[in-house]
Amino acid sequence: MIAAAFRGEMRKLWKRPATWVTLGLFGLITLTDLVGPYRDARKNPDAPFLLPDAWSQILGEEITVGFIFSSVLVILLVAAEFSWRTARQNVIDGLSKTQWYSAKLLLLPFLTALFLALRVVVGGLLALAGTDLSAGATLFGTVQLSALGGMFLTGLGYCSLALFAALAIRSSGPAMALWFAWFAFGERLVVGGVGKVFEGLRPVLRWAPVMTFDRLRDYIQYDPEALRKVAEWAVENEQPVPELEALGPAIAGSIGWIAGLTLLGWLWYRRRNL
Amino acid sequence: MTSASDTPIIQTFGLGKRYRKTTAVDGISFQVEAGQVFGFLGPNGAGKTTTIGLLLGIITPTAGRFELFGGATAAELHAARQRIGATLETPNFYPYLSGRDNLRIVANVKGRDGAEIDRVLDLVGLRRRARQKFKAYSLGMKQRLALAATMLGDPELIILDEPANGLDPEGMREIREIIRDLGERGKTIFLSSHLLSEVERTCTHVAIIQNGRIVRQDSVADVTSHGVAGLRAADLEGLAAAVREYPAARWASRRGDRLVVELTDGDLSGLNAWLAGRGIHLSHLALEARSLEDVFMEATGATPANRPADPGTQPGRSAPGDHRMGEVP
Repeated sequence: MIAAAFRGEMRKLWKRPATWVTLGLFGLITLTDLVGPYRDARKNPDAPFLLPDAWSQILGEEITVGFIFSSVLVILLVAAEFSWRTARQNVIDGLSKTQWYSAKLLLLPFLTALFLALRVVVGGLLALAGTDLSAGATLFGTVQLSALGGMFLTGLGYCSLALFAALAIRSSGPAMALWFAWFAFGERLVVGGVGKVFEGLRPVLRWAPVMTFDRLRDYIQYDPEALRKVAEWAVENEQPVPELEALGPAIAGSIGWIAGLTLLGWLWYRRRNL
Repeated sequence: MTSASDTPIIQTFGLGKRYRKTTAVDGISFQVEAGQVFGFLGPNGAGKTTTIGLLLGIITPTAGRFELFGGATAAELHAARQRIGATLETPNFYPYLSGRDNLRIVANVKGRDGAEIDRVLDLVGLRRRARQKFKAYSLGMKQRLALAATMLGDPELIILDEPANGLDPEGMREIREIIRDLGERGKTIFLSSHLLSEVERTCTHVAIIQNGRIVRQDSVADVTSHGVAGLRAADLEGLAAAVREYPAARWASRRGDRLVVELTDGDLSGLNAWLAGRGIHLSHLALEARSLEDVFMEATGATPANRPADPGTQPGRSAPGDHRMGEVP
């Protein structure tokens, strides 16, 4: 039954104009972001845009935009179910609340992977255009796989926060406003405010959800070679050497938040009448 | 869970729902048997939709319990709901999807295929418009699509909440015919409505709910067959005053130039003799058919201002100039 419910989600996703608008926009943003390095590489051999080195640019900070779009889609797909009362009708039609919620949960990894894949495919193809395949270099290795895994958790974290907002508010506009406010400045304000009053809590507050998810977003922490180069450059230019924290606690923290937010969302959804 | 034919399809036992200070449903008990077209009648806010919500598992009861197809546990109720097609309040669909895509979503959940979608679209006459987006549908088309969705999977029990809401007379007639056809095919139908004539024309049984309580429950034939007499006299005011004192009169209502009285004993000659003894001579005395509206007004004490809407006309129905005189002791 969960599979049937998820098929329904796919149909809704496919037919929803917002899906294509966000995917199109992100594709365009990715293109405009990566066409520059691609052109430069054609003109200047000293600034190559080739695989596997180009992954550091492809999987750069701009991936965050994709995760914002996937979160927006989660809110649109979940919160609207309450305004249209289709969440209620789905249960009347025979889905249990657990099945309904499970289908929504499956959307989170799907959408995260979809936007991540778009960036990887568009950027990867651009970089592949100039790459000498006969050189035999590894185009996609464990470094990139680890980076994708970490970034996937970041995106999943954003989406789980969006799911919680959608279930708590049950209306697309306000849920999106709340999610974005928390994401853009709310969390920092709260952490800063609470940290000022209770100084002893500062080490704990650094593990607020968005801050925790963002710890996994930096490509360089997955690539020891790139990290070494950056450190050398920093020393040569008398700049501070980047300090990166261990990935283990960040992964555990992110998984913990994702589990916590989705569980809280489930309890909230189950407790309230439809 | 049992499925014997003598097991009630729906049975409630003191079922209730309370929201903080408001009691939406106040310990109601009723049962719906297989094959009945059961009208659940009541004014707006009486508790009809909340009762349906409780039965469908989208509202949690705060008192009592209920059984569907004889099952009462969570698992049995979930299984029983697979045998139900229902729609609550307004038709609830995805506005950006076509009628057919919306039905695909429902069919997917019910494990049905495209042929079944075509069948129900034909039944409600929407096949030619099935590719149109739901948001572009008229209210009548939306109601028909909701009816089509409830029929997917050939459910044994169909629950419809105000299916004729907002429809023009032609749309109401179409919906009524579909419901009647379903009833004739042996489906059990639980129909909530505040449209008295719709229930009277469509249903075999009726329960009247007011302020969360069932105030009357019986077959439509039984509730409308009690003796109601139409009386006319030169002095209508004097007649009304006298009737108020007649022991067998339950209530009286003025309709145009005559007085309509419900008699608990149905004895017209007794009433005539009693009035004659008080010097009132009737120019007209006859038994009249009793409409569901009369029953409803009697059961709920509704006045023209708060009684349910009813665009239909029926013999014995109150006309705009009618004046209710209130219950007679």
